[in-house]
Amino acid sequence: MDERPVSPALKLLAFLMFAFLLAPLIVVVPISFSGDSYMMFPPSSWSVKWYPAIFLDGKMTAAFWTSLLLACAVTVLCLVIALPAAFALVRLRPRGAEALSSLFTAPLLLPTIVLGLAILIVFARYGLLATFPGLVAAHLVVTLPYALRVLATALSTLPIAVEEAASTLGASPFTVFRRITLPMMKSGLIGTTALCFLVSFDEVVLSLFMTGPRIQTLPVAMYHHVEQQADPLVAALSVLLVVLTLLVVLVVDRTSGLAKTFVK
Amino acid sequence: MTDTSTAPGQGFLSIRGLTKRYAGFTAVDNLDLEVPKGELVAFLGPSGCGKTTSLRMIAGLVPATSGRIVVGGQDLTEVATHRRDMGLVFQSYALFPHMSVAKNVAFGLEMRKVPKDEIAKRVKEAIALVHLTGKEEHRPAQLSGGQQQRVALARALVIRPSILLFDEPLSNLDAKLRDEMRNEIRDIQRRLGITAIFVTHDQSEALTMCDKVVVMNQGRLEQLGTPVDLYERPKTAFVASFVGRTNRLKAVATDGFADFGGQRFAAPGDLSGPVEVMVRPHRIALAPTGGEGVAGTIMRATFAGDILQYDIDVAGQTVSVELATRGGETVLAPGTTVALSWRPQDVFVYGAAA
Amino acid sequence: MPAAVAKPRRNGLALVIALIAPIALVNAFGFLAPVLNLARMSFYEVEPTGTMREAFSLATWGKVIADTFYAELIVNSITVSLGITLLTLICSYPIALYLHRSSGTWRTILLVLVISPLLTSAVVRTYGWIAILSENGLVNNLVSGLGLERLRLMFNKTGVVIGLTEILMPYMILALLAGFGRLDPRVEEAASTLGAPPFTIFRRIILPLTMPGIALGCLLCFVLAVSSFITPKLLGGGRVFLLATEIYDQAIVTLNWPLAASLSILVLVIFGAALVLYTRALRAIL
Repeated sequence: MDERPVSPALKLLAFLMFAFLLAPLIVVVPISFSGDSYMMFPPSSWSVKWYPAIFLDGKMTAAFWTSLLLACAVTVLCLVIALPAAFALVRLRPRGAEALSSLFTAPLLLPTIVLGLAILIVFARYGLLATFPGLVAAHLVVTLPYALRVLATALSTLPIAVEEAASTLGASPFTVFRRITLPMMKSGLIGTTALCFLVSFDEVVLSLFMTGPRIQTLPVAMYHHVEQQADPLVAALSVLLVVLTLLVVLVVDRTSGLAKTFVK
Repeated sequence: MTDTSTAPGQGFLSIRGLTKRYAGFTAVDNLDLEVPKGELVAFLGPSGCGKTTSLRMIAGLVPATSGRIVVGGQDLTEVATHRRDMGLVFQSYALFPHMSVAKNVAFGLEMRKVPKDEIAKRVKEAIALVHLTGKEEHRPAQLSGGQQQRVALARALVIRPSILLFDEPLSNLDAKLRDEMRNEIRDIQRRLGITAIFVTHDQSEALTMCDKVVVMNQGRLEQLGTPVDLYERPKTAFVASFVGRTNRLKAVATDGFADFGGQRFAAPGDLSGPVEVMVRPHRIALAPTGGEGVAGTIMRATFAGDILQYDIDVAGQTVSVELATRGGETVLAPGTTVALSWRPQDVFVYGAAA
Repeated sequence: MPAAVAKPRRNGLALVIALIAPIALVNAFGFLAPVLNLARMSFYEVEPTGTMREAFSLATWGKVIADTFYAELIVNSITVSLGITLLTLICSYPIALYLHRSSGTWRTILLVLVISPLLTSAVVRTYGWIAILSENGLVNNLVSGLGLERLRLMFNKTGVVIGLTEILMPYMILALLAGFGRLDPRVEEAASTLGAPPFTIFRRIILPLTMPGIALGCLLCFVLAVSSFITPKLLGGGRVFLLATEIYDQAIVTLNWPLAASLSILVLVIFGAALVLYTRALRAIL
């Protein structure tokens, strides 16, 4: 793209809107250092007491570990399930491949509130509510379509000639996949991993339907906490989560190009 | 006409009745070919003629609909690509972007479970052979197009394949580099005595590099012969017009003779009815009117430095004539009438249906 | 090239089935079955005691259609969502246009700033809005500092609209950016050499060319606004009634699943209508 002068009016407008867009993320930072016991902005005094408070809150720490474990399990399962499917649909091209990909990505079109209710009703019947496997299954329903889409795109943009070259050099189909296809899909795989992890870790609507007093994910715990009292504890927690998200985004950007992964 | 094809079974690479059909069309139609050991054979034809599909069938990348592919007496038709032991140099080079030059070249040897120290030795030799010593640890993206091409060549050569296949390997290079690579590929192939097939749509590439040329059109083999055969004794109108430039003139044949502009040419066989008469532009001589030959009127004269080109109207058809310049000749003005003549062996007559 | 004609080989069906079986299983058990079951459940009977009975009854649907509370709910949801969509568009357009015209590292940084909120939980961002809009929040402390009366910005529609607008902006920006691909700077330059002043260029050239992106962004944001419920719940404080919040309440609090199911189907119907409108609009634009 060529460098073009941007009119000052547009610049000003864009920055105002950026300020609006980032405002809620920015205000949580000062609040997390509040010395007040309830939320007030600007805070009347400053302290760092809310950060250790997170780790003393048993409910939050338990929810954090649940979420972390859940996101990891979901991400791994997602890759294991979506990669073969993407390979089958893109490379083996069975009859009706197009229809199948539409079906497999359809859960993304459904509002999560509807999907959450639908899953709640069926999972209740099988005793999967408020269980770890139930949460994993529910999260897979929404993360798999993302994974399939990113991996299928990554696969279909690979130059087939390179794989053919490997096979003329004596590599068996499996060796070609392992030594050529997989390494060339690196950025797609990293993107998928990051996307699945973040989607699962941040998922709140499905989780709200699926959790109960026995098991809670971090976003659900935060939701209930905010619903009752919006104290600076959540701000401190939010700052940590934003930092975590930024880290993931930066890692993805460094390794595979953010724009490529998310904007296509 | 000399028949240069070898009898079935005599070639090192033997292709019999090779056919590829897709829904609705036939990409390769009943191809028969015998390639003796050590020869470099070109598959030449316009895009869509089936040359690349034939090559891909030989490599096993496309399954043949019918026919056999035999190499050194072993039928490979049903053998998977990775067990065929052929080296293929791709048009796009198809280097492994995530591996260094050395790793790219070593890949085929690793697949063959060659011992580590021997891999190192052979990779070094292959890289030296293509003049890339010093670039071993570079990634493909860090190399120029010509260098990538050399890596692709080294990678295919290092496994000492029974047959080396080239799929338009020079089409992505600029003209100067292309000439250089042409000679280099030819030298290496001769030195190693490798049997090779070279797919190209560039006739000069086919004529200058290869021992024999297979001209293909619409999935069929039009002619197999040495470059001289193709140029001087084209078997079909397609070959005559595709290899080198030629005038295609309409004429009518009766009793084994074609008539064009008052001149009669022997027509092969018992051709009768409309025929095509072909003469190459630089095999036509011009003389002032009244001399021997067919009368024509100059319509346009173009001076192009090394040649002088005339478009001449002969009985309503345009004949292109090219004369090599020697200096001092006068450019004939449009409207001048001239006599065109040629040697009988420079004229080819084909049925017009062709 | 003939090479392009060569399709990937159709390998054994067994292999294909083996490779897609896991995803098909998740899809069937976690998506197809639940959704079909949901549609079926909207016809179940609910006895006055609250017990649900498998049947084929139109009672729930009759209630949804006849009760003015639900009619209002639907109209409310749609109008609020439309308003949010329009606001999102107005707020996002300058950012998208600016992003489209920037380049290099600066562009990457801005893009990260746009995408980061998208990857941050809606709970966190809604919490940020509580900090800004609540009685002791940023805006009200500013306002009272100026000696003015404190504003009610939360626990009403205003809060919900502000919060959701901001939360949906990244989606709109990305959709607009995708649509801006057709915007060739040379076309603007051409219009300029033909004598068009900047605003005319915007109105006659830029706006029409970016219409497809606008349509896509609006569809996306409307659909997300109709179905969002975290933000309305937290910023509405139970005082703003929308379809999504009602579905959640019926499902979790009141445990009237057939009613929740039929409201869900209604959301899907609104989705379908939006999609139809979108395709019509797109056809009119292109």
